[in-house]
Amino acid sequence: MFRPLTLLCVAILALSTASDSAGAERVDYLKQVKPILSTKCYACHGALKQESDLRLETRELMLKGGYSGEAFIARDAEHSLLIERIVADPEERMPPAEEGSALTAEEIAILRNWIDQGAESPQEEIPADPSEHWAFRPLERPALPVANDEPAIRNPIDHFLAAEHQQLGLTPTEEAAPVVQLRRLYFDLIGVPPPVEEVLAVEQSPTSDWYEKKVDQLLNDPRYGERWGRHWMDVWRYSEWSGLNGQLRYSQKHIWHWRDWIIESLNDDIRYDEMVRQMLAADELYPDDLDKLRATGYLARNWTLFNRTEWMDNVVEHVSKGFLGLTTNCAKCHDHKYDPISQHDYYALRAVFEPYHVRLDMVPGETDLVKDAIPRAFDGLLQEPTYLFIRGDERNPDKSAVIEPNVPETLRFSEVTVEPVDLPHSSWQPARRAWVFESHLNKARERVVKAEAREKSLSEKTDSHPGDVSVAAAELTLAERELSGLEHRIKAMQSAWEAGTREAAILKNAPDRELARLAIQAERDIEVARAQKAVAEAERKLSSAAEADSKKLKEQLDTARNALQKLQKAQEKPISEDDRYTWIAGAEWTPTRFTISTTDDPEVAFVPQSSGRRTMLAEWIVDPRNPLTARVAVNHIWARHMGAPLHSSMFDFGLKTPPPENRELLDWLAAELIESGWKMKHLHRLMVMSAAYRRSSATAGGDQNTDLDPENRYWWRRQPMPLESEVVRDAILAHAGTLDETMGGSPVEGDQQADSHRRSLYFFHSADTVNLFLGNFNSPDVTGCYRRESSIQPQQALALNNSKLVLKATPSIASQISAGDEDDATFIRKAFLVLLGIEPGDEEVSASESALKSWQTEAGSSPIEARSFFIWSLLNHNDFVTLR
Amino acid sequence: MNGFSENMDRPRTGLNRRQWLKGLGSGCAGIALASLLHRDALASTSAWSPPTGISHFTPRAKNVIWLFMNGGVSHMESFDPKPMLNKYAGKTIAETPFADVQDPEKLAIERLRVPDANGNQRNEIYPLQCGFRKHGNSGIEVSDWFPHIAEHVDKMAFVRSMWTTDSNHGAQTQFHSGRHMNDGTFPNLGAWVHYGLGTLNENLPQFISMGRRPEWNTRDGHYLGPSHDAVSLQVDPQNPLDYANPEIPFSPAAQSIGRDLTRQLNQMRRDEFPDDPAVEARIRSYELAWRMQSAIPELFDFSEETQATQRMYGIENETSRPFGMKLLAARRFIEKGVRFIQIQHGGGGAGQWDAHGGLKKRHSASAFEVDQPIGGLLEDLSRRGLLDETLVVFATEFGRTPGSQNSDGRDHHIFGFSVWMAGGGLKQGIVHGATDELGFHAIENRHYVTDIHATILRQLGLDSRKLELPSHKRLEIDHGEPILDIIA
Repeated sequence: MFRPLTLLCVAILALSTASDSAGAERVDYLKQVKPILSTKCYACHGALKQESDLRLETRELMLKGGYSGEAFIARDAEHSLLIERIVADPEERMPPAEEGSALTAEEIAILRNWIDQGAESPQEEIPADPSEHWAFRPLERPALPVANDEPAIRNPIDHFLAAEHQQLGLTPTEEAAPVVQLRRLYFDLIGVPPPVEEVLAVEQSPTSDWYEKKVDQLLNDPRYGERWGRHWMDVWRYSEWSGLNGQLRYSQKHIWHWRDWIIESLNDDIRYDEMVRQMLAADELYPDDLDKLRATGYLARNWTLFNRTEWMDNVVEHVSKGFLGLTTNCAKCHDHKYDPISQHDYYALRAVFEPYHVRLDMVPGETDLVKDAIPRAFDGLLQEPTYLFIRGDERNPDKSAVIEPNVPETLRFSEVTVEPVDLPHSSWQPARRAWVFESHLNKARERVVKAEAREKSLSEKTDSHPGDVSVAAAELTLAERELSGLEHRIKAMQSAWEAGTREAAILKNAPDRELARLAIQAERDIEVARAQKAVAEAERKLSSAAEADSKKLKEQLDTARNALQKLQKAQEKPISEDDRYTWIAGAEWTPTRFTISTTDDPEVAFVPQSSGRRTMLAEWIVDPRNPLTARVAVNHIWARHMGAPLHSSMFDFGLKTPPPENRELLDWLAAELIESGWKMKHLHRLMVMSAAYRRSSATAGGDQNTDLDPENRYWWRRQPMPLESEVVRDAILAHAGTLDETMGGSPVEGDQQADSHRRSLYFFHSADTVNLFLGNFNSPDVTGCYRRESSIQPQQALALNNSKLVLKATPSIASQISAGDEDDATFIRKAFLVLLGIEPGDEEVSASESALKSWQTEAGSSPIEARSFFIWSLLNHNDFVTLR
Repeated sequence: MNGFSENMDRPRTGLNRRQWLKGLGSGCAGIALASLLHRDALASTSAWSPPTGISHFTPRAKNVIWLFMNGGVSHMESFDPKPMLNKYAGKTIAETPFADVQDPEKLAIERLRVPDANGNQRNEIYPLQCGFRKHGNSGIEVSDWFPHIAEHVDKMAFVRSMWTTDSNHGAQTQFHSGRHMNDGTFPNLGAWVHYGLGTLNENLPQFISMGRRPEWNTRDGHYLGPSHDAVSLQVDPQNPLDYANPEIPFSPAAQSIGRDLTRQLNQMRRDEFPDDPAVEARIRSYELAWRMQSAIPELFDFSEETQATQRMYGIENETSRPFGMKLLAARRFIEKGVRFIQIQHGGGGAGQWDAHGGLKKRHSASAFEVDQPIGGLLEDLSRRGLLDETLVVFATEFGRTPGSQNSDGRDHHIFGFSVWMAGGGLKQGIVHGATDELGFHAIENRHYVTDIHATILRQLGLDSRKLELPSHKRLEIDHGEPILDIIA
């Protein structure tokens, strides 16, 4: 046991001695020492935890030391505690095995040499207490900086940026050309390009207020909800269901109701805080409001067939990242290494979600949940305990303590309380919703009407086969009995509700025994009618069967008759106390298979109370005192308008991410969001009306700017951005005039997509089903997409070169742009303006003209064909897929 | 630029122009570095930097051909003979001297269970459905269903002691990524290699996939990004990859004029926006796309391969042709420097090898489809001297139960199964590890699936720990340990 370790120590000694005598190279503290200490030691011996009262973040702190004294003695690595502990026996070694792997010989040598060389370091600031981290501090609206004379100040956003520009010596670029601004507004706000005539109008004679008017118009356009809905669908992990051979394994059927709720809510400018509240807890806050219940699709999307922990982990991780910019997922197996989030905090968050499961609620007019229903969350496991999993291993729960639902301790600005919610009957007995019985009754009545008509027409016709008439008569009897059976069951159920009896479908519990009896008897009668119909059908088949089939058909008839006889006997049997009628459900629990993969878990029943846990969490998230929520939301909105976020990480506002350069602006916008009543359209308007938004993206002539701030961190120019996959496809169809703008509804299935002209956000999109064209342009990863991938790949080039989508669109686009009677130069110029937002230069025009000629002379194309080919080339232009 | 240090980057354009262009050169499939960085929002103290495309240590292999048999190959009827199954055929496991294989403690590694209707293990010993013979100088035994592969045992390293954790076909993703489907989605081995090493040839994608992939295993890059997904190719010179040719055909002359115009216009744009790296990247991506368009169909045109070569791959036989063509194409890709070729065998449901019933008929037929092509590939690679630098891997998600299912099949079995590798600097003609007498548990030199990954990465000169992203900490078991005993 000790042997290898001793050998290792000797080897290290030898190494260090050798290098010393050879004059070891000077160790660089910042480049060599600090990274080692940071990855190996800071998590426990830093501001966050200060274990053994020891901190190692600066030389001073190391010298101050902890309970056991100073961490090192300069020029004496041999007797320095730091070195002793990192080379110690496994039980004593730092970092402890469960916290991290041992330092390598090379790393140990660096630390040794640094100490032996005198342990020098530049002056360093002592890192602050993590709970003082900027993003965890309460939000305060900063005062508007005084901006001297930057010419283009349009609103407060520009004040913040101008102040920085002046300080740094940056000169913002000019306002972009109106055509470019128009293209920006359209793509940014509604996700499709501006129509030809608007491009030409704004290019030729823009009115003084065209921009403001356009902003208002587009923010009120219902396509705004589709465009921004897709952004939020990325963040909230929208995904259609997936599974194997039709078996549902992830997300839910009909999850599109949640997508439609997102689009509608955005178009109605529903407050952001209210949207969060509804997604997390509409079932507790609005248990009767089916429209709002759609919002909990957010939770239903995380449904997972086989593994509860995978499901819970996903919810905790993405609620934290999406709404709070917190990586609580890093605290699943151990306390967070950077942020003040303990492993206990992680499981307290899991406890918030522990009771919830998913069910399908019937929608008016459709009784078949396979065809349509609303997937939603409900609390069914009110007693389910949450345990901390030791080292995150679900097989190893710490059952010594049940973890109560709570929010992370450091961020608890006030005590949170969980109040159980009493649900209205209609929520946990969903058949009580008026439309449930109504839909069933309507369906049953329709069946009767149909059966009557068929029976009538067959019996009136002289040449009807008597067998067909009997079948139709049997069908009618069945339909009538089903209707009357339904009516009996409804009466029985209503009486049970009035009496407040649960489990009343069973006779012995029924408050009105006569009604229950009638319901039970009616169902027996239905079974008999069904069997009678089967007999009639078998007789009919036999009556006109070929010789060869008659034996088989006779057997079938016998089987049907036997079945009928049995049911008739059962029909006569006295009704017993344990007999029951079929309860009409208005909703169905979506079964899971957590324990055995081939068997459904025991049913999770609907109960009259909800835990109130998710309401607690939602209220804490959207409390204006929560320092993170508004900052995170504003960052999402800014990134999508401006091409890059203010805070570099969309989902991690913790200590690991450097604070944003424009922090005051971020804070000001966050305060503005809250004070405007969480109105997102207000924020959109602010951002797109700013001078920052309207600037040119060109860098030409701004050498000083590119030298000072090459990454454009201070927004001295507009950041060009790639168009998202959906926008690329929608734009091609829109330019061709063939985009189908139908809104909402069930998604376009994979095999229908090639020929569909619906907007791309309506395409079925899941872990398994990704549209080929969209996939090539970095369509969202349904497992997590806080910001779109922006890679440029050759497959994109092939798709724009060769897809049917593009090739079919080009002739239509050519004719949309010009009726054909204009000369080439005019056509070229218009095409550049409309498709690319570019006023073409002479070179571009002449290259295009010469290509148009070549197509006619070298490829034998007609002038019209040549123009289609030209459009084809422009669709492959970099700026077609770029928002400048 | 306070709070901003050299070794950290963050978005806006994400990368400066020089870095971006370098990124383009190092991965034919795309430029994802920028977005990787914003996912990572690195701490200023972090020593992490993205891979450079240079091996971490001297590589022993350049390329990998990854052959994956979907559904679960019976180890007992392929590469791990168990005569005891014949001796105790029809007996329950409890009636054999090896009853302790069902010790619950030994079964505890199984997390997701797919039991029979009674909740039991397949219990009644099912005899071997094929014969076994010794081959080569090494005398390694191989099932009679794989006569062509058997000719090459002296080139191969067998690992007969694999285990995994979950009894459903989500184990396929587990063999590619190290994590079962129920853990979420994680990058596949090929994506890590692509991420770590980048290009050998700028005209071709570096990571290619052929054959049907079950629907839950269609992506590779996952958190590394879609540019590390394999490019899917079909063995069809007319239409080898998606959008390879215009879906509405038009004259090549017109295409070429249009491409020239696109090229010219984009170059003009680049001159106007010299600081927008996306324009340059776009230009290069088009050039690459156009080169791929001609390079890839050529590689699927086998007219320059001799009849004898084609016969060697089983292309003349209708049954083995589809797989044979993929393997011949793989060799041609290897010659052109493609790094990682992932080939799946066995479509339908969870995979053709999933013989819950009719094992003899189904496995022997499946074996016939792959045996001659694989034998041919090994022969061809070694004749051409390519086997030294190419690692051929034969893998499957799990083995099959010693007990019978549906009277003539075997169920999924995670406790012990076999894979083999050949070439790429591995030892030749050796067997490593063993299962017990029933083929139930791996008992000697046990290896989890990621040990295969670690072995391959080591041969390619990569250290998975150095590739790890700060935002996605991996567990020890995700990295695995290289199997040093089989490395030459």
